[in-house]
Amino acid sequence: MINKQSTHTPIEVGDGAAIPHKDDSGLFTAWRIAFFGAIILCLFLAFGRSEQYLAIFKFVPDGILVTFKVTIGAILLSIVFGLIAGLGRISSNRLINGTASLYVEVIRGIPLLVQLFYIYYALGRFIRIPDILSAIIAMAFCYGAYMAEIFRAGIQSIPKGQIEAALSLGMSRRQAMQQVILPQAFKVVLPPIGNEFIALLKDSSLVSILAVADLLRRGREYASETFNYFETYTVIALIYLIMTLFFSKLISLMEEKLNDGH
Amino acid sequence: MRIFRTLSVAALLIASLTTAAFAATKSIKVATDATWPPMEMVDANKKIVGYDIDFLNAVAKEAGVAVEFKNTAWDGIFAGLDSGQYDAIISSVTITDERKAKYDFTDAYTSIGQILIVPKTDKTSKTIADLKGKKVGSQIGTTGTMEVKKVAGVESKTYDEVGLAFEDMASGRIDGVVCDEPVAAHFALQKKEYKDKFKIVGKAFTKEGYGIVVKKGNKELVNLLNKGIKAVKAKKIDTKIHTKWVK
Repeated sequence: MINKQSTHTPIEVGDGAAIPHKDDSGLFTAWRIAFFGAIILCLFLAFGRSEQYLAIFKFVPDGILVTFKVTIGAILLSIVFGLIAGLGRISSNRLINGTASLYVEVIRGIPLLVQLFYIYYALGRFIRIPDILSAIIAMAFCYGAYMAEIFRAGIQSIPKGQIEAALSLGMSRRQAMQQVILPQAFKVVLPPIGNEFIALLKDSSLVSILAVADLLRRGREYASETFNYFETYTVIALIYLIMTLFFSKLISLMEEKLNDGH
Repeated sequence: MRIFRTLSVAALLIASLTTAAFAATKSIKVATDATWPPMEMVDANKKIVGYDIDFLNAVAKEAGVAVEFKNTAWDGIFAGLDSGQYDAIISSVTITDERKAKYDFTDAYTSIGQILIVPKTDKTSKTIADLKGKKVGSQIGTTGTMEVKKVAGVESKTYDEVGLAFEDMASGRIDGVVCDEPVAAHFALQKKEYKDKFKIVGKAFTKEGYGIVVKKGNKELVNLLNKGIKAVKAKKIDTKIHTKWVK
């Protein structure tokens, strides 16, 4: 039998403290105050005295949909890119290893905003693809490099003994990777992928610069014609906050479920 | 301690002397979004140039004030005026009722109209309405955007800069661009990358006047600028500037 205890080896990839913290079980946790506070504030603004805010809430919903589309499309595609590059990073083939490492180094060395411009307009020169798809590809290409490092760390966190045991049982390297290592590694990388998802949701606002009509773009369009800058960006910030808090809760619940599964 | 006191007194003295010197010629800070050729743009030497720049310099000369230009992104250019980062905006701003409700304008200093540009491969479209079911681009928050949004069934796409809209049309992602006449002429007729790809269709379909924008209630500056504009028009300096930039 494979020793499952070893899958708990923790790896830390993330950009901040997890909200909510697992041990935080009081009634007024930071998460609850932020989440419900934001929702109550939204409702108050929308149905309060001023009509201005309601007009903004009516203007932006299709932008929220585009933000979701970009985020989910980019996270799925970046997992594909990341898995391929991550496997490449631990490959013993020098060419594959070199290519994957080059990809990771180059992408991580260029600011996301610059990459978005570059990929979006570079893609446009050679092939005709719709704007949202171009934005998704650009985001996924960037995030794939970070995903690659997560997958590499995750795979390397599985003790060497496992692959040796699998090989000695007569499995091929590919079989050992597919049936023994990757299923275990996947559990290890899920939490950091969750973090990446939240980070990507926030970074997806950058695609507004590419004229993709996401939440931020819709807000900017509204503000630029009504000049209600303060009101508009208050609403936009609150909507982003509610979305990220909601998903971070969902991801932490998912993690707990996974840990209970053992 | 004493040295600090002496220093601060000296600093105060210098400060009051310099303000006194500047008070003689009033200086105003003016924002412009220099991505709107030929009206306002950045040249090869990183200098802000264009019709509006020459025009305001001429106006300032007549009105007896000094001007300092500040290159500012169009999206948020009005917000900067609200927060007092500059005193005025000259950036091909069309005088509209919505804008007049929030800001004060000088008299119109030139008139233009919105016009449609499409790829040369499009043989049929003459107006925005002919592009139903397609995407039409414009710069965010401009009168061009407002015209596109008026036509039902056309998807409006907004860009931070009009140049990005033209580049997206070159990539085939959008089917038309709406912008001010002189800007359209610059991109579709003069720029060598786009000359063979785009064409201007039909005539300008709006009549708009550009004005200089100041904060609501700043009567003093509006009057000063209006005086300058009158003098420039009377001396026909504006026609010279027009031939120089718009042809």
